[in-house]
Amino acid sequence: MYAMVAAGLALMLGVARLINFAHGEFFMLGAYAFWYAYSEWGLPYPLAALLAPAVMVLFGIAYQRSVIRAILPRSWHVQLIATLATSIVLTNLAIIVLGAQPKEVPTMLSSRILALGGFRIVWQRLLVLAAALLIFWALQRFVACTRTGKAMRAMSQNREACAVVGMDVQRVAMVTFALSAALAAAAAALVSPLFNIFPDMGTTLTLKAFAAVVAGGFGYVNGAIAASFLIGLTEALAGSYVSYAYKDAIAFLIMIAVLLWRPQGLFGRRIGI
Amino acid sequence: MRRAGWLALGLVVATAPWIVAAVVPRQQRYVLHVLIFTALFAALALSYDLVVGHVGSLSLAHPAFFGVGAYTAAILATGARWPFVADVLAAALGAALVAALVGVPLFRLAEHAFAVGTLGLALVASVVANNWVEVTRGPLCITGIPKPTLAGLAITTLPAYYWLALAALTGVALLYRGLTTFRLGRAFHAVRDNEPLAGAAAINPLKYRLLAFTIAAALAGGIGALYVHYLSVMCPEEMTVALTVNLLVIVFLGGVGSLRGVIVGAVLFTALPEVLRLAPTWRLVIYGILLLLVVVRSPEGIESLLRRATASRSAG
Amino acid sequence: MRYALTLALLLVMAFSAGAQAPPIKIGFASAMSGPAAITGEGVKWGATLAVEEINAKGGVMGRKLEAYFADNKAQPGEAVSAVRKLADVDQVDVIIGQTHSGACLGAMPVVKEIGIPMVIEACSHPKIRELSGKGGNEWTFRVALDDEIMAHTFARYIARTGVKSSSILAMNNDFGRGAAIAYEAAFKKANVKLLSTDFFDPGQPDYRPVLTRIKRAGAESILAVILASDGAPFMRQYHEVGLTQRVFSRGSLTTAEFLHQVKDNPKIGDGVIEASYWINTLDPEWDKKWTERYKVPPRVHGSLAAITLKWAVVPALEIALKKHGKADRQTIRAALEEVDVKDSPLGPIKFDANHQAWINMILIEMRDGQLKILEKLPTSPALLN
Repeated sequence: MYAMVAAGLALMLGVARLINFAHGEFFMLGAYAFWYAYSEWGLPYPLAALLAPAVMVLFGIAYQRSVIRAILPRSWHVQLIATLATSIVLTNLAIIVLGAQPKEVPTMLSSRILALGGFRIVWQRLLVLAAALLIFWALQRFVACTRTGKAMRAMSQNREACAVVGMDVQRVAMVTFALSAALAAAAAALVSPLFNIFPDMGTTLTLKAFAAVVAGGFGYVNGAIAASFLIGLTEALAGSYVSYAYKDAIAFLIMIAVLLWRPQGLFGRRIGI
Repeated sequence: MRRAGWLALGLVVATAPWIVAAVVPRQQRYVLHVLIFTALFAALALSYDLVVGHVGSLSLAHPAFFGVGAYTAAILATGARWPFVADVLAAALGAALVAALVGVPLFRLAEHAFAVGTLGLALVASVVANNWVEVTRGPLCITGIPKPTLAGLAITTLPAYYWLALAALTGVALLYRGLTTFRLGRAFHAVRDNEPLAGAAAINPLKYRLLAFTIAAALAGGIGALYVHYLSVMCPEEMTVALTVNLLVIVFLGGVGSLRGVIVGAVLFTALPEVLRLAPTWRLVIYGILLLLVVVRSPEGIESLLRRATASRSAG
Repeated sequence: MRYALTLALLLVMAFSAGAQAPPIKIGFASAMSGPAAITGEGVKWGATLAVEEINAKGGVMGRKLEAYFADNKAQPGEAVSAVRKLADVDQVDVIIGQTHSGACLGAMPVVKEIGIPMVIEACSHPKIRELSGKGGNEWTFRVALDDEIMAHTFARYIARTGVKSSSILAMNNDFGRGAAIAYEAAFKKANVKLLSTDFFDPGQPDYRPVLTRIKRAGAESILAVILASDGAPFMRQYHEVGLTQRVFSRGSLTTAEFLHQVKDNPKIGDGVIEASYWINTLDPEWDKKWTERYKVPPRVHGSLAAITLKWAVVPALEIALKKHGKADRQTIRAALEEVDVKDSPLGPIKFDANHQAWINMILIEMRDGQLKILEKLPTSPALLN
């Protein structure tokens, strides 16, 4: 789960050189969109799960055209603060509009348990894992093979050159954004049946996603994915064997440790995504 | 502003408790309370601006230093019964030490990594404060922090606190002014504006960044100590990452890198919600929108508007 | 001529408005924003409904009530601001609330300084009881019970069911930490071995790691200090990990709120026994009114705020008005000390020397997706030994 969110974040960072602190809110809004489709409209799970990313794509585009266009040329300080501000606005609007009470979205798979010997796991978690792997594979193919994907890679390497060559930089940025939002929303749709949905759910996630992105090497998607898995695993293990209460700090301690050892992140400042 | 203007302002600020008592006698205590918070916040924001505005490092770790100072003072004042001045100094020193320790590795990182690294620090500090119950009592909070006594005088009334907070703010402002002008200030700005050039001019960026960082942390710690003595309670919730958001709003709204701007920002930030008095969640939405607008439209904040106003006045 | 008439009319209206007794202002402080915003929302809803109810019946001896709200963000610093706003700006006569212990502790010195009575509806820090009342802070009163009071009784009950060991899993806040401390001591006294103690951050979604820890510890039971909103993922993952420990809880696990969250599988919480002091079935009329208005089951903090208003503050207002003809801060404070309600939904409300009301403790069981009150136990200071 962390991986998908982090991947979207890394994508934006690498391609558009954009720091988006409101990324967690894409996740949160995607979750609510999914809840709406699934619980309020009664759509079947797969449909609702696809609708959420679709909605977020639109939202991502709207967000890009309004907020991001304005801050893209600015310094990254500005970007960070502007997106942080957006995050606050979105989170609190969600509290006002949707209410602070957490929502449950149980699905068929989230209640059924697979028991293999001593190992028990809810089917939904397997779905998350399978879907994540599928999505990552698809992402790789997209970036490597399609024109837009190649354009994204080119942009992440040298933005100015792309503009000179006549590539529609804005459009590629928009696609990147949409993709980023869709990834977050897809993660939300997959994971929500396991947990609760509440307005504040995006904030910790944004922080951990950033930790993963930085630890993986700024803007390098695969690095972010790898780092996310590392963080997720360590959190679970540490929470289980060391101390559950300090679990949240683990992600950041890992990140700090990685940065101290290799200041450019695990995979270095690899140019390109 | 002209000399006379400054003097008048200073007089108003100094005699505020009496003015408030005369103008709004029934709400006097509330207004003084808001003013105390404003003064403390302004001082905290100034210390933050040293790092963000004058050395150009976007640190998100300030709540950690505030928290370290606050808890140090709280623990010393309640457990070991240290006198006020001593625990404030200890708080400042403790925070400075932490800053020096983490600063060295953190400043080696590139800008973005630095920001996220400091964020991580703030988060870890928050989690530790919440869970190291043996020392900080975690969510059960440290209670019964005594009122300060300065040179034999017990500071128990609101006007007394106000003057204490005001004195602290003045001290911080003077220090801020001193640090950001003269050669030291120029060195800071050189590091901020053009790091490679600074390096070439034999100004070690790491050294100066670390210096600003440590001083800012010391100030934050000291203010944390003042804060807990005012409230008599310290809980982990007071040092969450949300504090950074507040400081960012103040600094950027007011004008990053400017003394007057930051103070104006603090006044607006603390006074505005009282004037608006809207439902609390809407308040946060409005902050967010304000911050967004300000940072996008005029990142120089209100300060630039003020400057333009005075410039046109002196030109015309 | 027309002006004179209008002026006369206005004057008459103004005078008659003044002739009506002014309303009594009640302030409510809770966490209206931030991560604990859900409690503040509940308090606001409960307070609004209760004040409307009272005013519809004509108010308190003819005086209408007005509710004012302030946000304490569950932090002591903000609690101070909230108290000052309610007292100085809104000019309320009495404050109900704070809800969260950090905020309560921050607010207590200030209500003493200002001289305004505060009736606490939910803060669970035991220190509040120590600091209040004769010889301490005479302006603070508390209706809710804390875990020091409840722990020994509950621990003895748990031991009576034959359980010999337990693991504590508590929220990482004042409520959870306080409970953990109280139950560590209580379990020892009741000869129940405590095998592990863990804390989780409210709102965090993944309980598997800590549930695995608990599985390894191998206790016979779990004492969960948890609220309904976290309870749902907790119980799901409890089943996922395949735990079989008996679950005893403190908080709001056995509530209509929880059942609403798990309505796809209401039996998921079967077997849980909770020690509490409130459940929505204590006041079916209130339950109905709330559900009609807000479309969800009653929330614990909102209902506590309403009960505090209706059965602690209103009787005090009546005493103050009858004795002194006025209901200002001093008279309300003195009147609160005389309140002696025998039959509120929570049980008797009478403040002792520490300004603590000794309401009933109830044991609730979840069975077949329904809630059942197993036992209703009166409490008294003797329980602290």
